[in-house]
Amino acid sequence: MAWSLLSVELVVCAAILLMLAADLLVPAARRDSLWWLALGGIALAAVLLARQQPSGIGQTFQAMFLVDRFAVYFKGLFLLTAAVVIIMTREFHHHLPARVGAFYILLLTALLGMLVLASVNDLLLLFIGLEILTFSLYIMAAYLKTDARSVEAGMKYLILGSVSSGFLIYGIALLYGFCGSTSFPVIRAAIANGHAPLTAQAGLLLVLAGLGFKMAAVPFHLWVPDVYEGAPTPVVALLSVGSKMAGVVATLRLLYGVFMPLQGLWGPLLAVLSAATLLYGNLAAIPQTNIKRLLGYSSIGHAGYLLMGLSTASGSGVEAVGYYLLAYLFSNLTAFFVVVVAADAVGGDALDDYRGLSRRSGWLAAAMFIALLSLAGVPPLAGFVGKLLVLLATVESRRLWLVAIGAVNVAISLYYYLMVVKRMYLDAPRENSPIRVSPLTAGTLAFLVLGILAVGIFQEPFLQTIASALQP
Amino acid sequence: MITLTHYLVASALLFAIGLVGILTRRNVLMILLSIELIFNAANLAFVAYARAWGDVGGQVVVFFIITVAAAEVTVGLAIAVLLSRQLKTLNADEISLLKW
Repeated sequence: MAWSLLSVELVVCAAILLMLAADLLVPAARRDSLWWLALGGIALAAVLLARQQPSGIGQTFQAMFLVDRFAVYFKGLFLLTAAVVIIMTREFHHHLPARVGAFYILLLTALLGMLVLASVNDLLLLFIGLEILTFSLYIMAAYLKTDARSVEAGMKYLILGSVSSGFLIYGIALLYGFCGSTSFPVIRAAIANGHAPLTAQAGLLLVLAGLGFKMAAVPFHLWVPDVYEGAPTPVVALLSVGSKMAGVVATLRLLYGVFMPLQGLWGPLLAVLSAATLLYGNLAAIPQTNIKRLLGYSSIGHAGYLLMGLSTASGSGVEAVGYYLLAYLFSNLTAFFVVVVAADAVGGDALDDYRGLSRRSGWLAAAMFIALLSLAGVPPLAGFVGKLLVLLATVESRRLWLVAIGAVNVAISLYYYLMVVKRMYLDAPRENSPIRVSPLTAGTLAFLVLGILAVGIFQEPFLQTIASALQP
Repeated sequence: MITLTHYLVASALLFAIGLVGILTRRNVLMILLSIELIFNAANLAFVAYARAWGDVGGQVVVFFIITVAAAEVTVGLAIAVLLSRQLKTLNADEISLLKW
């Protein structure tokens, strides 16, 4: 068995165990520095991941676990997300209960789940990877255990999440009944002629329901606004970027790697869901008064664009989704980072708390401004290229009505993002004291903003990386 | 003679009962219990299919599902305890600090 293929996951496991020991052994006064350990583990995993790229293409565990360029690309994005969330958590320390090590353990187990999902080649592994990720997030959402809103968010997330895992596993049972195995290659061979009995089709739909929950697609979006508002902000950042990305990656593997012959079934379905998700997310975002809730609805809207790219069932659609996720990662992490840093200084997460932010900290306001414009899809920022590629791929697949809905939603989303910008730049602040930003935070924010600009302006190298990662 | 179909019908019924329970029950504990029914519906289907195919793989999956379901209930009950401490209720209709 090729253990080197598992090196990234094994390093993350080792970091989890080390963190468990460190949380017990390190004296309470010095526990605040445990974030170094988590970040170090991720850095080591990133080094090993980079070494995997040239030679380490293969499979292990009876072909359940697959390492190809696709997996390596998305594992890189997952590691980056987790690293940024750890630095975000450092800003958030004083809100967390005393044992902060446990929080990092959960963060790393969530990362482990995402990494497994990128390599999945078996329905059982898909289920387990998804559950490792989701269970960590349930606990993290309810982590502020004396804050009733956080606990309520955790409970709602757990109930709706468990129901969707119930759908997922029942769907897997039906697919297993159809072909006698949970392995992707066996299922692919069984449906190669493009025909599948009703039970297998129902199984596929149930599995898609479970994955749609992770992506926050209509009609499985009910948890999003409440959980985004109540859960601790770093957790929300991980949910909105990492968890959504994991759902998309697993869906890509499943639909494009296995169920391609059935695209007549899932293509139109995803297109309709995409339209519903776009309209619901963007229209419901308009009246929001809480920044986290607003970003929650906006993340539903972005799930709509991702579904649009997935529904094309074409190579250019997959590339567009890969690019979109990269742009979304930088933009959304920047926005949530500003929310974490600003929340203490401005006194809350209400949109009105952001009045006059530009006069208290020009840099924070500028970072938020760029992130929101990128999310809206304004050129030359990253989000614009992502949206453009998705729309072009949809034009290619001749679904012009969907393109029209996508274009209209760019305008709708621009409206509510600009309402936040207006508050930051035109309204008067309640107080004028400047906001202090620590060097590490400022550096990370600068890196993320540069990422938004670079992904938007220099498309060629990123496009080539993604194209080579996604073509077999 | 009990055939594969009988098991599958029983499994589908379990699934439906669980789903109806989730939609109609208002107590958090009853909702968690209904979710368990859905997981067990999948277990029953897996075991029945594994027997029909003569394949142990499906039975192995069941052990994983049992473990996951146990973990899910553990986390769920822990959060339910926190919830009853904070809000003094386990009625889903009264848990509405955040707009549901």
